[in-house]
Formats: sequence, C-alpha cells, structure tokens
Amino acid sequence: MKFRTLAAVAALATVTFAAQAHGPTRQKVSESIEINAPADKVWAIVGNFQDGSWIPVVEKTEGKGGNEPKATRTLTLKGGATVEEELSKYDAEKKSLMYRIEKVDVKVLPVNDYSSWVEVEGDGTKSKLTWRGAFYRGYMNNDPPPELNDEAAKKAVSGLYKSGLENVKAKAEKGS
Amino acid sequence: MARLIGLVALAGSPALAQEALVTAQLGNAVEVVDLATKKILQSIPVSGAPAGIALSPDRKTAYVTRPEGHGIAVIDLEARRVTGSLDLPGGPLGIGVNPKSGEVYVADWYGARVFVLNPSADGLKREGEIATGQSPSGIAVTPDGATLLVANRESDSVSIIDVANRRETRRVPVGQHPFGLTLSADGRFAYTANVVSNDVSAIDVAAGRETGRVATGQRPYVIALAAGRGFVTDQYSNTVTVFDPVTLRKLAAIDVGDHPEGIAVTRDGKTVVVANWGDNALSLIDTSSLTVTGTIETGDGPRSFGDFLR
Repeated sequence: MKFRTLAAVAALATVTFAAQAHGPTRQKVSESIEINAPADKVWAIVGNFQDGSWIPVVEKTEGKGGNEPKATRTLTLKGGATVEEELSKYDAEKKSLMYRIEKVDVKVLPVNDYSSWVEVEGDGTKSKLTWRGAFYRGYMNNDPPPELNDEAAKKAVSGLYKSGLENVKAKAEKGS
Repeated sequence: MARLIGLVALAGSPALAQEALVTAQLGNAVEVVDLATKKILQSIPVSGAPAGIALSPDRKTAYVTRPEGHGIAVIDLEARRVTGSLDLPGGPLGIGVNPKSGEVYVADWYGARVFVLNPSADGLKREGEIATGQSPSGIAVTPDGATLLVANRESDSVSIIDVANRRETRRVPVGQHPFGLTLSADGRFAYTANVVSNDVSAIDVAAGRETGRVATGQRPYVIALAAGRGFVTDQYSNTVTVFDPVTLRKLAAIDVGDHPEGIAVTRDGKTVVVANWGDNALSLIDTSSLTVTGTIETGDGPRSFGDFLR
C-alpha cells in the first residue's frame, strides 16, 4: 500500500493542481464493503469530515469549517506527510460526502486532481460502505515513469480504500 | 396511404431520431447509441483512451482522438467499424472538422499546436500544423470554413486562426483555463468554458475580443447552444448551468450525473445530451422545460468531447 509506505519517505516537493495541465485520461476507482452494523453507526465513524482517524494511515486531523461545504482539513499521516483536503458536498440524510485533495505530494499518493465520495447505504442492522474516487495519474505528461502511471495511481487509491473500509468494518462490528 | 401513415408516424416522434456517439474513455470503445430507443446499437473497440470526437461534413465518418494511443481512429458510421487510423505525436485530445473542406484539426494537449489532417482516398494524411497557445483543447470552425478557433487552456486565451494561411491572426484573452469552445450557429460569437475561473467567456469573433462572462458551477467544461440558451457542463458540481448567451445571465442549474463532460444538442434543438463520465450514463435535457427527461447507460468513462450527435 503506497499511501502507507511512501508516507515515510515524503519529499518536500508538492504539486499544486491548478498550475499545470493534467493528463488526458481521468481514472476511477470504487471499493465497497458489507458491514454487519447499522448504517447510522457506520456513518458516525466516517461521516465527520474533521476526523479522518478511520483511515489507518492517518495520525492526526486538523481543520476548520466542520461539515459545511468548503470546510478544510489537513491529514497528517504516519511518517509525517500531510494531505490538504476540502469538503465539497455533505448530505447527512443520504449519508454521503464528497471532498477533494487540494495538495498532496505525488510520492505520498501518486494522483492529481483527486476527488472522492464516501457513502453509506443500509438499515438498522446491515450496511454497505462505498469509497470511490476520480483522479489523474501522478505524472502529468506523456510516457509516465512506472511509479506515476495510471496503473500506479489506481493501485495506490484502491489499496487506500480497501484498508480504510476494512478498518471501518472492524470498528463498527466490534461489540455489535 | 402508406405514405400518409409514414408522415404521421414521423410527426409523432421526430425528437430523438438521432444517434449519439459516445467515447467511453475507460472502456476503450466508441458506442453508437440510439437516442429514441435508448439502446447501444454497437460498441466499436477503440484503444488508447478515446476522448475527442468530430464528424465529417456528410456525417458519415467519425474522427476520434486517442490521447493514450497517440493518434486518431477513423470510424465509418454506416458500417460502424474502424476503417483507418493515424499516429500523432503529443497528446491528441480536442478535435474539429472544417464544415466546408472536411479538413480535420487536432489539438496537442501537451504542446502548443494544432495538427492539420486531410482525408484522402488513401486515408487521413497529416499536412502540417498551426502554432497556438499552450495546451490547446476545444476547437471550432466557423460555418464558412474560413476561421478556426482554439481554446488555449494554459494560456488563458483563444487563438483565432485564418484557415487559408494556417496562421493565428489574433489571440483573445479569456477567463482562466478555457477548455470547451463552442460557436453560435452563425459563427459570430464563441463561448469558452473556463475550468479554473468557473465561468463562461463570450467572444465577438469579428472584433476579436471578449465581450463578457457568466458565472457557472464548479469546473465548467463544455458548452452547447440550443433554443436561444447556453448549456454548460459543470464537472465538479454535477450540474448543467443554463445561461442566456446574449445577456450573459445565469438562468438555471440542472442536476445531472457525476462528472458531466461532453454536451451537445440534437438537430431539432429540443434535447441536450450530456455525457456523465463518473456514472457511465447520458442525461437527456428538455431544452424548453429545462428538466432531465431520461438517462441512457453507456460504457465506462463516457467523455464525448466534441461534435458527438450524428
């Protein structure tokens, strides 16, 4: 899982998305998990934008604006790298939120122009948690190096999502 | 009598007797979609992440850009199969066809040039290139075939190009990072969707200047003009912003699917078709009621960046 292993070797260089044209082909990844716990309980874990602790690699969440659109947060990862994010949409009734990464080192997560949705469906006993994202690869020009190509981006995001979903499942099912 | 019945039937359902050509970029296919029955008639495999599309003046041939395959695929729309291809350097993405000469223009996303291609009996031939601003993307040609307009994403401008001399004659500053570019039917006005400043710029083509802007949703991408209105896909807001192209006032925002990208209007002007990249579907918008009247499932990652309604 690149997000975890590369966090430790995060370089100083960062990429600001607006400054350069992205690659021509946006990618998507979607992961879901069935959880034997009420949807409300699962949403209580993932539905607070100011608390990213359900993502295993996240050590600390600092932010402002609560769960209102345009709220921001900075995730500090184990190893010290940071990810700056902004909340775009939040719907407590639908148990759905969307946010964007404003700034991340491609060595931490090899993506550009990343946005993602976290959604919970279900009832009082069972639920389905979905985390899906849209992004461009880490290298924005032709002929990307292997660690910054489309496959690397998808693999890193998919690994991040799976570990997050499994962690939420473990937390939510404990004691229920 | 048979003729009369035929006419009645035709009058009863003329609205969507048309095909949409969907570039499913992640599915590596171009799909021929019948808008009336909402069915995919044919899925044509096209590798290289097909994205941009333009049609020949007789509407029988589609030219599709393959930015990851670095080239163009030529599709015979009657036979519904790929009949030719042409390799191109850089990142071929935006594409347009000259309605008079049939010449094909392809923007190099990674460069600052437009390739000029000519269809011949032996297939598509590369005949030179025209210098533009950085990251050229959306392309349009005036109805008289004399003027080519190119949105320069990284230069925040539009190149106005004299087709006969293959030279840029004016460069018009617009909003930040223009991507899609659409001309009015008479070719007098152009509109760009500015993805970073979240607005649309209106350009007086003859005067060579921007005349105003209208605010949109987040990440406006491509514009369609229909029924005296402008329709812009807002990639990040999952909406289509409707505006008045004359007064540049915002009229409405219509919820569509996830990451709406390509947008175009049917021949009769009654329906706007939107390609939703995120949820693999087309949204159909009624241009008078400004409501979504239907959706059609497509392959993975539909973009249809260009002239995609046959």
